[in-house]
Amino acid sequence: MPEPAIVVIEDEATIRRFLRVTLHAQSYRLFEATTGAEGLVEVATRQPDVVIVDLGLPDVDGLEVIRRIREWSPVPIIVLSARGGERDKVTALDAGADDYVEKPFGTDELLARVRVALRHAAGGTRDADAVFTVDGLTVDQARRVVSVDGHETHLTPIEYKLVTTLVHHAGKVLTHRQLLREVWGPTHVEDAHYLRVYMGQLRRKIERDPAQPRYLLTEPGVGYRLVDE
Amino acid sequence: MNARLRSAVVPAAWSGYGWAAALVGAATAATLLIAPYVAPANVIMVYLVSVLVVATRFGRGPSVLASVLSVAAFNFFFVPPHFTFAVADTQYLITFGVMFLVALVISDLAARIRAQAESAQRRERRTAALYAMSRDLGRARGVVDVFAASARHVADVFASDVTFLLPAADGALARPAGAMDGFDPDASDRNVARWVFEHRQPAGLGTTSARALYLPLVASRGVLGVLGVRPADVRAFDVPDQLHQLETFANQTALALERAQLADDAHEAELRAEAERLRSSLLSSVSHDLRTPLATITGAASLLLTEPHVDDDTRRELLESVRDEAERLNRLVQNLLEMTRLESGTLRLQRDWHSVEELVGAALRRLGKPLTGRRLDVTLAPDLPLVRMDDVLVEQVLTNLLDNALKYTPAGTPIRIVATASEGRITVEVADRGPGLRPGDEERVFEKFYRGAGTAQRGAGLGLAICKAIVEAHGGRLWAHGLPEGGVAFFFTLPMTEAPPIVAASTHA
Repeated sequence: MPEPAIVVIEDEATIRRFLRVTLHAQSYRLFEATTGAEGLVEVATRQPDVVIVDLGLPDVDGLEVIRRIREWSPVPIIVLSARGGERDKVTALDAGADDYVEKPFGTDELLARVRVALRHAAGGTRDADAVFTVDGLTVDQARRVVSVDGHETHLTPIEYKLVTTLVHHAGKVLTHRQLLREVWGPTHVEDAHYLRVYMGQLRRKIERDPAQPRYLLTEPGVGYRLVDE
Repeated sequence: MNARLRSAVVPAAWSGYGWAAALVGAATAATLLIAPYVAPANVIMVYLVSVLVVATRFGRGPSVLASVLSVAAFNFFFVPPHFTFAVADTQYLITFGVMFLVALVISDLAARIRAQAESAQRRERRTAALYAMSRDLGRARGVVDVFAASARHVADVFASDVTFLLPAADGALARPAGAMDGFDPDASDRNVARWVFEHRQPAGLGTTSARALYLPLVASRGVLGVLGVRPADVRAFDVPDQLHQLETFANQTALALERAQLADDAHEAELRAEAERLRSSLLSSVSHDLRTPLATITGAASLLLTEPHVDDDTRRELLESVRDEAERLNRLVQNLLEMTRLESGTLRLQRDWHSVEELVGAALRRLGKPLTGRRLDVTLAPDLPLVRMDDVLVEQVLTNLLDNALKYTPAGTPIRIVATASEGRITVEVADRGPGLRPGDEERVFEKFYRGAGTAQRGAGLGLAICKAIVEAHGGRLWAHGLPEGGVAFFFTLPMTEAPPIVAASTHA
């Protein structure tokens, strides 16, 4: 199996250079594009495993690039965006992006996102029957059992559904709308307070310190992320 | 007052003559009773007393009348032949003459004393009126206050309508903005006012066809404007005294006006200087705060590029400083952007129901590395309700407060976060055990570009100003106070204006 291929669509030369060094060091194959149009061609011809796209491109909106790719490809897309643009991030995620990295970012963060994306692209180990384990938290979907540090925790049906939804997308950020749609159904996508209340309950059951969560992270303005490594 | 004085004088005069006749009559009756027992010389004394009384109470006219009546009555009743004006003994003509002369002298002296007393009283009233006005003018803050106080006193003391005319930017005389009641002079009156303004002399009423009297407001810097007075009684200022007093009032007003104008100018200059100071302080702090990390980054990077043989530890140290400084730059830029958005008013809160617990968690995670080695005491009330707020901004508040605590306290000292709900609001406290605040800093720390004690600490001094703006945009309050055990606690509140929506309770599996 060849090394994973990544298409980077980014107009800033210095960021491209930094991405090139970082990703080459991990032996990923890298294809660079400086405009949205070029990027779409690269994605179509290279059939990459992951696409990294900057939201502020000179020719077309990064959002438009995401929508165009999504018309024909499920390839994981990671968005590069600036802090403060929470709205843009949510729009990009709801438009089909898989995750985002906030500029400026470190290599750890970028590579973690890429690994998660690659895992999900490969179908990964997060199947419904698999056992998800991270740092003391175990979710056994076959037996419908959630345990923390070996102690079984009793969850309500909705809490359980919330956990399993997060497990399916482990490591990826899920927007409020995505979580609400998957757990409560399409009629509840605006009821963000449901999410807050149940997330609070869930944290009380599985986190040692709900105010400094280890597993269920909050991304203010965007959504939630279940840590997976 | 003029009208009042006059109306007081006229009836006093007429009743004075009446009183003069009555008192002489009473003296006659009294002396008729005692006449059999006393010498005629003493009868004269009784009449002189009545003249004295009339003179002191009613002035010269009535006392002259009293003198004449006294002599006549004495002649009629007590000089033989009685009950005629005929005089048997011509010696009595001398008596009459002396008696009349003495009565006149008495009435003149008494009337003069009375006039002096009256003028003293008038002076006193005038001084009191002037004093009352100067006191109000002294209290006046700003030009508008001066106009109001002066107009009130002039209108009151001179029973007049009052107006002010000041040179506008185009040189024409105009009533000041925010002018109080008072009259609006017509075109011909305005010409008179213009003449007054140019010649620095009062004019109007009496000298021209104008319906009001105009006086220049002259102060040390020149003519500031014109005071217009339109009295109810057009002859009010014919009395020189009155005119003189009005001029005094005008002078007082001019001095107060000048003082107020100078104060206003000074205040404006101060504001300009303050804006200038802010600008230069922004420039110096931004350029300093941008350059310091850039210098470190550039230095470290060029050293690593040109010096291939640095040992691993040094290399690592240099790279860490590059990363740390870059993070600092990022925070600084973030704060500058945030401040700009807050100040330009383009920031709109994206409110939804959020939990304080989640935002505390997010802020602690964002700060990450610098928090290691700190003892964190996080105490959140278990029943904290959801609050409608902008989660991104409130997280920014928490991040800035924690960042602030980290920057200003020694490594290893603990940080406390407490959140409670009561009386319709959630109160969050972020407290440290550092050196605390200097006295007076409780307020100043929230000013832009203000940096606390130990200014080796870097940062643009914007973090807390941003926090305050965000909290206040939510309708809350942010304040600081020093802790008795050392350190400083920052508190902010988030009002719970609506009850959180009900979420159906979930049943246990």
